Amino acid sequence: MTTRFLCRAGLVAVAVLTAIYLVAPVFVVVPTSFNDSSFLEFPPKDLSLRWYESFFTDPAWVNSALNSLQIGVWVTLLSVVLGTAAALAMVRGRYPLRAAVGALLVAPILVPYVILGLAVYALFLELGLTQTILGFVLVHTALAVPFVVINVGSALVSFDERLELAAMNLGASRLTTFLRVTLPNILPSMGAGALFAFITSFDEVVTSIFLAGPDVSTLPVQMWSGVRVQIDPTVAAVSTMLLLITVALFAVAGLVRALGARRAQKALVAAENA
Amino acid sequence: MAHTNALAGTGVSIEIDGVVKRYRTMTAVDHVSLTVEPGEFLTLLGSSGSGKSTLLNIIAGFISADAGRVAVGGRDLTKVPPHKRDLGMVFQHYALFPHMNVRDNVAFPLRRRKVAKAEIAQRVQQALDVVELGRLAERRPAQLSGGQQQRVALARALVFQPEALLMDEPLGALDKRLREQLQVEIKRLHRELGTTFVFVTHDQEEALAMSDRIAVLRDGRLVQVGTPVELYERPASRYVAEFLGESNIFTGRCDQGTFVDTTTGVSFAVADHHVGDALVVRPEHVELAAVGATLASGRNAINGTVREVTYLGSGLRVDLDLPDGRRVIARTGTRGIHVPQVGEGVVAHWDPDHALAVADDVISDAKSDPGPDAGSASAA
Repeated sequence: MTTRFLCRAGLVAVAVLTAIYLVAPVFVVVPTSFNDSSFLEFPPKDLSLRWYESFFTDPAWVNSALNSLQIGVWVTLLSVVLGTAAALAMVRGRYPLRAAVGALLVAPILVPYVILGLAVYALFLELGLTQTILGFVLVHTALAVPFVVINVGSALVSFDERLELAAMNLGASRLTTFLRVTLPNILPSMGAGALFAFITSFDEVVTSIFLAGPDVSTLPVQMWSGVRVQIDPTVAAVSTMLLLITVALFAVAGLVRALGARRAQKALVAAENA
Repeated sequence: MAHTNALAGTGVSIEIDGVVKRYRTMTAVDHVSLTVEPGEFLTLLGSSGSGKSTLLNIIAGFISADAGRVAVGGRDLTKVPPHKRDLGMVFQHYALFPHMNVRDNVAFPLRRRKVAKAEIAQRVQQALDVVELGRLAERRPAQLSGGQQQRVALARALVFQPEALLMDEPLGALDKRLREQLQVEIKRLHRELGTTFVFVTHDQEEALAMSDRIAVLRDGRLVQVGTPVELYERPASRYVAEFLGESNIFTGRCDQGTFVDTTTGVSFAVADHHVGDALVVRPEHVELAAVGATLASGRNAINGTVREVTYLGSGLRVDLDLPDGRRVIARTGTRGIHVPQVGEGVVAHWDPDHALAVADDVISDAKSDPGPDAGSASAA
């Protein structure tokens, strides 16, 4: 009885400590953002919103946020189109060295970002692509495509190809078959891939540091230099806002999934009564 | 049934001429030529690996043949892509579009054909009424039972009045009761629509029950084509005899009306136009008598010991052990006969007209084809 109680108490303690370990940075950053002090100070002494004001009034912050948003949207669009096409080639294609192509497609995740950033920097200096939106979009897309390939690829693997045969048999051309039958069934995975792609781009610091400069920067790079160069508490305010957006995104995703599960549950009940 | 006429087809012929399909290690379809008559219900019957599904997929256009041609209603389809063939197809696992409800599934082929909106609504409703699913039009496929899904698939394949309907083991995923129910329904549809049906199955009972004609395939080759009665009563070879229904097989040599069993040396009379190394006697033609009883003249007889008596309701199945260890099966009625006891010695006898000497393609095949792949059958 007592040993069981002790085991259980130990388990709870470990769980609580793990949770604290995982979310502790959040507990620090959120109060800090409301600090009135000019230093990153925890716990805050006086409360104020001045660092939020500082974010929205400083063109460097606002511009880098807008850049990040713009880059993120382009990266999402590009990587979903490219990644879906690549996943189709990887799952459906019949050609030599298919496995090698698949490995190559996922490689950008495995290569250390510093190496990638350095290599791209050397190349883009030549091409004049550093400090351009296009430069960021190209690099981030390369990093984001694997996430789309993995998501859409697994959806294609579980997709019943006979549905395509049925569609063609019923008079649909290859293109119509893809648009009317294949696409609707892999759309949720494309959505998940798109979310990953956006976050990959929006989050990316390492390669971006190489590409950014005084003319064009992104939000993560701005945050990084905000801490490195001047210890600007605006960083805490930005972090808090990003945290809020992330939580909202995941809440929406969770809600969608829960609704889907409830519909599936209903369908099952209806099928049993049918 | 209401509105069946709305789906009535014209019934066209399907000509399959010298079709060959080779894969790296095997020939899936080996020079098959076959004509399906207009409005006929033809079944492609074979075990897995016989090439029956490959042949159906070649007709549908999903697989291209290495040689030969397929023509439907006189139109050569060899180079026509599947979506322009105008053939309905029903798949074993239904292949309904999961993201569409029943109505949209059935409307799909009509939308591809740019049929006017009002007409689509009307024809979809008629097709669903024919398969008695009109009230479930708003359901998603996941909300239907297997039998209902297959009926939606039937409605979808028939709603555009295709030149012919192809069915690839459509009842294979259903339980026995539902399968029999749908067999009746498919036969009714065929009778009322007049559309040419090509049906693939490995189930010989299903083939016998449903078809106008059956084409038996084995290792990609066409073994025999005929009506169920022809195939059952006059199988062209031992393989067909064993594949369709139960058979007692004796192996030996046939010469001018006498068949000599190789194992025992016993000879049987057969109708003298028969030649072949395997003697086929259907269990329902085998009668039993007590040892020493007088038999009608000219009957073939063989002694055996009763091994098992099984009561089947409609009759008895009696398994006999022959002295050499082989088995003979007899099916008899239950009325007015002497019910044998297990262990009892009896005489099995039959009319020579019901014994058929046929080619023994089961053994000879095993001898002539001993390669490492001989036993491995790939999916049909």
